[in-house]
Amino acid sequence: MILQPSSRLSIGFGIGLALRRQHSRPAEHVALQASRHDEATNISAPAKHSPQNSRVAHMNMANAVHSALEAAMELEPKSCVFGEDVAFGGVFRCTVGLQSRFGKNRCFNTPLSEQGIVGFGIGLAAMGWKAICEIQFADYIYPAFDQMVNEAAKYRYRSGGMYNVGGLTLRAPYGAVGHGGAYHSQSPESFFCHVPGLKVVIPSSPMEAKGLLLASIFEPDPVVFFEPKMMYRTSAEDVPTGSFTIPLGKARVISTGQDITLVGWGQQVVVLMEAAKLAKQEGVSCEIIDLRTLQPWDRETVIASVEKTGRLLVSHEAPLTGGFGAELVAEVTKKAFTSLLSPPVRVCGMDTPFPLVLESIYLPSALRVLEAIKSSVLY
Amino acid sequence: MLAQRQGMRGLVGKAGLKAAVPRPARMAAPARSRVAVQAKRECFMWEALREALDEEMEKDPAVCLIGEDVGHYGGSYKVSLGLHKKFGDLRVLDTPICENSFMGMGIGAAMTGLRPIIEGMNMGFLLLAFNQISNNAGMLHYTSGGQYKTPVVIRGPGGVGKQLGAEHSQRLESYFQSIPGVQLVACSTVHNSKALLKAAIRSDNPVVFFEHVLLYNVKGEVGGRDDVQCLEQAEVVREGTDISIFTYSRMRYVVMQAAAELEKKGYNPEVVDLISLKPFDMGTIAASVRKTRRVLIVEECMKTGGIGASLSAVISESLFDELDHQVLRLSSQDVPTAYAYELEAATIVQPSQVVQMVESAVGPRMALAA
Repeated sequence: MILQPSSRLSIGFGIGLALRRQHSRPAEHVALQASRHDEATNISAPAKHSPQNSRVAHMNMANAVHSALEAAMELEPKSCVFGEDVAFGGVFRCTVGLQSRFGKNRCFNTPLSEQGIVGFGIGLAAMGWKAICEIQFADYIYPAFDQMVNEAAKYRYRSGGMYNVGGLTLRAPYGAVGHGGAYHSQSPESFFCHVPGLKVVIPSSPMEAKGLLLASIFEPDPVVFFEPKMMYRTSAEDVPTGSFTIPLGKARVISTGQDITLVGWGQQVVVLMEAAKLAKQEGVSCEIIDLRTLQPWDRETVIASVEKTGRLLVSHEAPLTGGFGAELVAEVTKKAFTSLLSPPVRVCGMDTPFPLVLESIYLPSALRVLEAIKSSVLY
Repeated sequence: MLAQRQGMRGLVGKAGLKAAVPRPARMAAPARSRVAVQAKRECFMWEALREALDEEMEKDPAVCLIGEDVGHYGGSYKVSLGLHKKFGDLRVLDTPICENSFMGMGIGAAMTGLRPIIEGMNMGFLLLAFNQISNNAGMLHYTSGGQYKTPVVIRGPGGVGKQLGAEHSQRLESYFQSIPGVQLVACSTVHNSKALLKAAIRSDNPVVFFEHVLLYNVKGEVGGRDDVQCLEQAEVVREGTDISIFTYSRMRYVVMQAAAELEKKGYNPEVVDLISLKPFDMGTIAASVRKTRRVLIVEECMKTGGIGASLSAVISESLFDELDHQVLRLSSQDVPTAYAYELEAATIVQPSQVVQMVESAVGPRMALAA
């Protein structure tokens, strides 16, 4: 199985929610226009979709997230969006107009207290609401770490199923943005992957963001949803204006190849695509997998791919040691050991705090990925 | 060095510094006889840790201890018993129940010249202080361009105890491992607990020092005042040829129990106690893997994204050609730890599982004669 099998987007989810509109789903729905400030390459692929019944709008990721939040609040009256500065529209403009449309009781500001934001969200979710909390930058998520690990993740388990906080969705912009420095660029996804009881989801395009966010909000488990802040403005594609979901726990094979499997998520997917393009010029065909959901991750797709290509490269912005790439490599190597033609390789951020001026050296750029592809193929 | 200098003084005699024949430096009594004079001492691990704190606080007035109930109560596991009487209420500081605050206080104190040891009553409570550890302790040396250093030792009991429930049975190694800028050390024996804690206190890096709730009453040989162990070095517990078993903390005992069983069945496992969870002692690890060509990692932290995942990835990446078998991991189940005894035992690694996994990885061997 190479591409997602659905040829339709299913609208309406959860229990008792009416179907709104049918949208035809493009057979290959990749449409990424992304450019980094420091690299001139511009990757664009025209969106292919059949015109019947499709009402789409050209959206960037911030618009897509906004669209998802609006749709969720429409569909579910017992839902709230809250966080620091969300009332005026949010620092990334993802919540513009939500307060004026849905009222101060459903979209409101919180004090500067991440622990409080998440704690409050847990309480709301425990009472059956959909609590969509925003942490302004993922770097600030740590004060809420105890709430996430000790409360949200364990709620269902330690109450024997009597209570749960499945309605909790924690959104946070993460990742490098070109000028973020130590406290506006971190990628803390691996911390949450180690916590049983939480799901971790990371989109890599506006379409993915909307579909995955809607799926996360209506998922019966607490989800941590990291939005690559670089893509808020630099990625744009046609996204259906209605509601749709993309299933959690399923990876997306962006392009097929024979020689090596590249696995990534979020903004790093764009970097992998650039590296794959450069590798193609040297005669190496890469299979690119966007993991989408890190916890639980799609073992079948990744392992099947590695069994086909025989080589694995995992790339993420988070530091190498203790990053989620370690778990992927450990598990895939165990399951597909005899298929491997070369050692698995991780191309990741360095084991230092996130730098400011040295960002371009720190990040796993397309050229670093290309070098790793070459050394893997020439092993 | 001192003996050499004393010897050199002997050279400055009538002939001055240009003595024709340099006399050998007068050596102190040979080391071996000095050690033989000291009787072998045994004590509990909590006593060993207490000795380390006591000795280091005596040696360096900047060393202080901060935590809940470390002072008047003497520590929830008696690790600081009586220290407040000796060093006073400020050097052994009882704090309110606010991990985030006293961690921040300790880090600030470290930045301004003190060397605090910050105790979390249980490692799991340090989740509340995670921002301080990650964004401050881990980063300040870097973000200040080296102007600040944070010589803190963050220690506390962690690991799965006996029916302590989900929140009090946490293993935080994995989360801390993802933070660049902190060093992770896990002690396992009475001897290495004291020697490593002393080294950690003397180190200028922020060190997270993992102790285990169930090991405090382990009795063993303890070293002296100057017995300090390298923080970055693994310990080869048992030499072998069949498979390299990498482990740490309480799992060392589980593995050794399994090793005794495996020996009877004719297997010869090599057991290495990692000690340094970050950075890994790749020298010792690589030497072991090259010898045995098979790897089993036995850890108490949960499987997904745990220490074992990191180590497995590093071994697969850098020692790919030395492996005859995929790297295996035995870790705790990916669930919160249950309260019920049977469920708790089912979530952590038992010796029988280690035995089974080694048998399947190595293949059949002839059992030793009964």
